[in-house]
Amino acid sequence: MVVVTLQREKCIGCNYCVEMAPSEFQMSKKDGKSVLLHSKEKKGFYTLKSHDDSIFAECLQAQNACPVKIITTKKL
Amino acid sequence: MKEYVSLQPLILLKMTTTGKIELMAPAGNFESLQAALDNGADSVYFGVEQLNMRARASINFTIDDLPEIASRCEVNNVRTYLTLNTIIYDHDLSIVKTLLDEAKAANLTAVIAMDQAVIAYARQIGMEVHISTQINITNIETVKFYALFADTMVLSRELSLRQVKKICDQIEKEQIKGPSGNLVEIEIFGHGALCMAVSGKCYLSLHSHNSSANRGACKQNCRKKYTVIDQESGFEVELDNEYMMSPKDLCTLDFLDQVIDAGTKVLKIEGRGRAPEYVAKVIKTYREAIDAYYAEEYSEEKVEAWMGELKKVYNRGFWSGYYLGQKLGEWSEGSGSHATQKKVYVGKGMHYFPKANIGEFKIEAYDIKLGDTLLITGPTTGAQEVELSEMMVNDEQLEMASKGDSCTIKLPFRIRNSDKLYKIVKA
Repeated sequence: MVVVTLQREKCIGCNYCVEMAPSEFQMSKKDGKSVLLHSKEKKGFYTLKSHDDSIFAECLQAQNACPVKIITTKKL
Repeated sequence: MKEYVSLQPLILLKMTTTGKIELMAPAGNFESLQAALDNGADSVYFGVEQLNMRARASINFTIDDLPEIASRCEVNNVRTYLTLNTIIYDHDLSIVKTLLDEAKAANLTAVIAMDQAVIAYARQIGMEVHISTQINITNIETVKFYALFADTMVLSRELSLRQVKKICDQIEKEQIKGPSGNLVEIEIFGHGALCMAVSGKCYLSLHSHNSSANRGACKQNCRKKYTVIDQESGFEVELDNEYMMSPKDLCTLDFLDQVIDAGTKVLKIEGRGRAPEYVAKVIKTYREAIDAYYAEEYSEEKVEAWMGELKKVYNRGFWSGYYLGQKLGEWSEGSGSHATQKKVYVGKGMHYFPKANIGEFKIEAYDIKLGDTLLITGPTTGAQEVELSEMMVNDEQLEMASKGDSCTIKLPFRIRNSDKLYKIVKA
């Protein structure tokens, strides 16, 4: 399983995560910050749990590209 | 020269409501905002949410803070400028509109903009626009172009004062007016950090950390120490200064008379990322210098004393920027600050007794003793400095207080339990 988290409040809206992982991330048209699709929020952290291991590589790329280091990607 | 003399009375007439050059202060948070208000700023600028040149970390206000910022400034008759001057992408357009609508609703004075989308929407809702230095205005025709949208323009930081003066004179001569119907006002950077890139348009941080300076996320690569190695021989090139990309801080205090005589109307102090006591000290010093200029009391002795004050707070050493016609930058000689003073944490505010004007503090770290200079900072208190002349420690009149003690001090201002107590020591 792949677990991706996004600490959304600190996002500066640079769009890198969408470039790296367009199927998991989208920019919100409302506040200009990143949205982790199909995720659940808890105390400001948005978590996506997916059984599709094929998303791991691109989510990891998004994690590495993020300038404010608010994305984590783990394979369980 | 003849033309300059004849225009001088006109220039003075067109000055701000106080008749003096406007002193604009940075406000990264409520502490700094209050410090700016308490020390004589005519206006403040600040970012809200992520779309400004200090997008990182906790130094930004949120949309919900706008009414409080506006009301605190209104009471002090201080103008308010929202910085919305990053590169704007399609996905930002909605938040841009929300921010501008809220700024307008909170009755802020103007928005400082770079992107045409921001300029266009601000004009559409009737909000005053100031052109950011990011647009890099360097000539009168560009001033004319932006006068269709903006009342104040920050010129490129790379111009000399002679060039600045020429633009100011031409605005008068050609009567170039902004949407308000008044002559366009020219603003320049007066004090604070400079960047090695032209008008801040730098790619270094994006290359190394994907972190765009033009989205307010600069990682400050230029402030580090570098060596140059000849790849062929492997030899390191000898450098005079390894901080080869880190300019000293800009300071115009020692030629402020020339800055004002050039016809500039607004003097911007950089430093939204700096501490509230920095804002307090720099604004207080420039306030005194500006007032002295108009009272015809601006003198070499005073400049020397003011420079001593400025050196007490964060700085990378000072230089005059490009204003006096320098060919190249001057680079800082070490990492971080060259300040002659620093603050050390002492404790926190506990209570204020308004009838007796006494503040109570809990000492949590360093000792304090009579004769110390104390600094108290907080979101409502701002940054206040006091000399410690007497105090009560655990209800006894003593000369020293240590960790764990509760001490009370007579203060001419109110403190809150969100306040922090520091002492100022030599750096």
